[in-house]
Amino acid sequence: MKTKFLALAAGLMAATALASVPAQADVKIGLLGGISGPIAAMAPAMIDAAQLAVQQVNEQGGIGDGEKLVSVLGDSACNPQNGTDAATKAVNIEGVSGIVGPHCSGAVLAAAGSVTIPAGIVMITPSGTSPEITGLDDKGTVFRTVPSDDYQGRALARTLKEQGYGKVAVAYLNNDYGTGLANAFKAEYVDALSGEITQFAAHEEGKASYRSNLAELAKGGADTLVIFDYGDGTGLTILRQALENGFFEKFVGGDGMKSDAVINELGAENLATFVASSPVGEKSDSLDMFNEAFKGVGGDPDAIFATTSYDAAFLMALALEKAGGKKEGVAAAMVEVSNGEGEAIRPGEWKKAKELIAAGTAIDYKGAAGDHNFDANGDVPGTYALWEVGSNGYELVMEMK
Amino acid sequence: MEFLGLVNYALFTAIFIAIYALLALGLNIQWGFAGLFNAGIAGFFAVGAYTSAVLTTPADDGRLGGFDLHFVLGWIGAMLAAALVAWPIGKICLRFRSDYLAIASIGVAEIIRLVIKSEEVVTNGARGISGIPRPAGDIGYTESQIAYLVIVLAVLIAAYVLVERQFNAPWGRMMRAIRDNEDAAKAMGKDVEFRRLEAFIFGAALMGLGGALFAHFNRSITPEAIDPMVATFLVWIMLILGGSGNNRGAILGAAVVWIIWSVSEIATDRLPHEYAIQAKYIRLFLIGLMLQLVLRFRPEGLLPEPLRGDLRGSRRTTKSGADHNQARSTGPEIDL
Repeated sequence: MKTKFLALAAGLMAATALASVPAQADVKIGLLGGISGPIAAMAPAMIDAAQLAVQQVNEQGGIGDGEKLVSVLGDSACNPQNGTDAATKAVNIEGVSGIVGPHCSGAVLAAAGSVTIPAGIVMITPSGTSPEITGLDDKGTVFRTVPSDDYQGRALARTLKEQGYGKVAVAYLNNDYGTGLANAFKAEYVDALSGEITQFAAHEEGKASYRSNLAELAKGGADTLVIFDYGDGTGLTILRQALENGFFEKFVGGDGMKSDAVINELGAENLATFVASSPVGEKSDSLDMFNEAFKGVGGDPDAIFATTSYDAAFLMALALEKAGGKKEGVAAAMVEVSNGEGEAIRPGEWKKAKELIAAGTAIDYKGAAGDHNFDANGDVPGTYALWEVGSNGYELVMEMK
Repeated sequence: MEFLGLVNYALFTAIFIAIYALLALGLNIQWGFAGLFNAGIAGFFAVGAYTSAVLTTPADDGRLGGFDLHFVLGWIGAMLAAALVAWPIGKICLRFRSDYLAIASIGVAEIIRLVIKSEEVVTNGARGISGIPRPAGDIGYTESQIAYLVIVLAVLIAAYVLVERQFNAPWGRMMRAIRDNEDAAKAMGKDVEFRRLEAFIFGAALMGLGGALFAHFNRSITPEAIDPMVATFLVWIMLILGGSGNNRGAILGAAVVWIIWSVSEIATDRLPHEYAIQAKYIRLFLIGLMLQLVLRFRPEGLLPEPLRGDLRGSRRTTKSGADHNQARSTGPEIDL
């Protein structure tokens, strides 16, 4: 048996050695995602969106002197153990010039702390929303295309106050996403705007019934329930049971709740009092351009975090082009390609961007998920909008500030 | 693939193997010596990681601490905390036998995970703790990995020597006697309950230390790390494959399983992109298959438990793993 294992291990290593003869001129980026593990259902669309950016870059001239941009896939499995392992392999074995991912905040923190920051590799995550990432001592190498949960929670609180919502109860999923949003919301709504939250409760995912949670939340007389959860998971169950039992009159959700599953399952006619916020703010050309391109390769543009994944990969490619394909200058270049100044570049406009960079003109990427414009921490402020359910799906109510 | 890159990857892999070897050694004390089926490794791992994180990070308003202590104190604290948590758990749960204990300990690990995730005042909740200082972390990438590997190896060797001494000492003989025949051990005047609790606590302390080493290596710890797949079952596979009851087996098992787990991804990366996503799932399948094969063809592991006295002779005459009773008397067996 021992020999069999040795043979197996040796076989794997041999396969690796044989296959790993990369063309010298390629520029590699690592795509790390939670392919196995808790977000396995979301990850493939995110990876596909990032691959679309890589494909467009190669179709329109590649990096530098026609060098190909090659993506290397890694499984961060949504946990720090696999996240650091995948990042180490991408950086050291594959020799990537930058990393797009990982998807989950815990993997981002660990991979940044033990691999990319010491190795000086730039990392840009499309979905790590934890406020902890803001405070990382990262020497300017960690970026993200998704706003910190802090921003969205606060923006939603301000908007609700403006719209005249009174007492609210808050139900949030007990993970970094739900907790982060809920705490930011609470801080702004109660402390800064002196609104009233009657009940503030976390729930675990995957239960069949949340009626007892809802009964508890309804105590205190709030007529509005704010749900920070996913609309194709637990959030749907909570919303359905709250509607069925008449616990609340009005419902508010975060971006996770702005899912088509909610409309398909519950029916638009029952959702007249439901509004949801989402970081995809203004109806922009950029978003349309991305949607069209992503549909063209068989993707679903409404998939959660597809736009941010695409933008992360495209920004990484722009930064690499600007830095001449060398990993050293990527961190500085990343800030320059999206700081609000210069000629606007939209999704898919690689050729135009390439010519402008070659001519030394400043460019500014306006992405599918927003304008980005990184701040000093590598965070994006994000643009948000409030949506209601109309006859044709979600319809814009107002922009949020 | 540059040479330096390979060195960096090898260093990283060695550090991870050493950390997992500590967990496997801890489990070996519980399962290999005392026959306690602890399926809650992730819980003690987490207690150690968070304790050390709270003790060594700079002060933070949002949660308990941090106390900004030296990392050595953090690691000692991690062992003490894991042992302290293990004591009441062991006191209650060790009255269960085999599978019942496994179920109870899975539950305990889940309770620990949920408490850590929910108690924001202590652990910063789902956001986790970042900014944990890493010993010798401020020098270059390769240098700091070498330095950390040296530290981790020193800890692992110290743990190995101590556990090995215990194993060969009368204490180890007594534990095996309790494991193999509890009634006989009781009849010899051994305090079975107390000794089992002792083994449970020692093992948990080592698991806590492994968690602390992990948190400092990554400079952060989040509830996502307390994943039963990578923090409990992977360790079990390491111990069973390496050989439960054998400390060197535990370390070897950690190395073999982690290398297969990690290197197989490099191989699957070579597949075309349309298969690349699917190929990631093969790794999970590979680990499961490996466990099945080991249990079927070599239940005693790569390095079986060293046999002593008369058993050594009788073992040669019977085919390994064929006779159920024989397997019972020579090493712990899985009842799943």
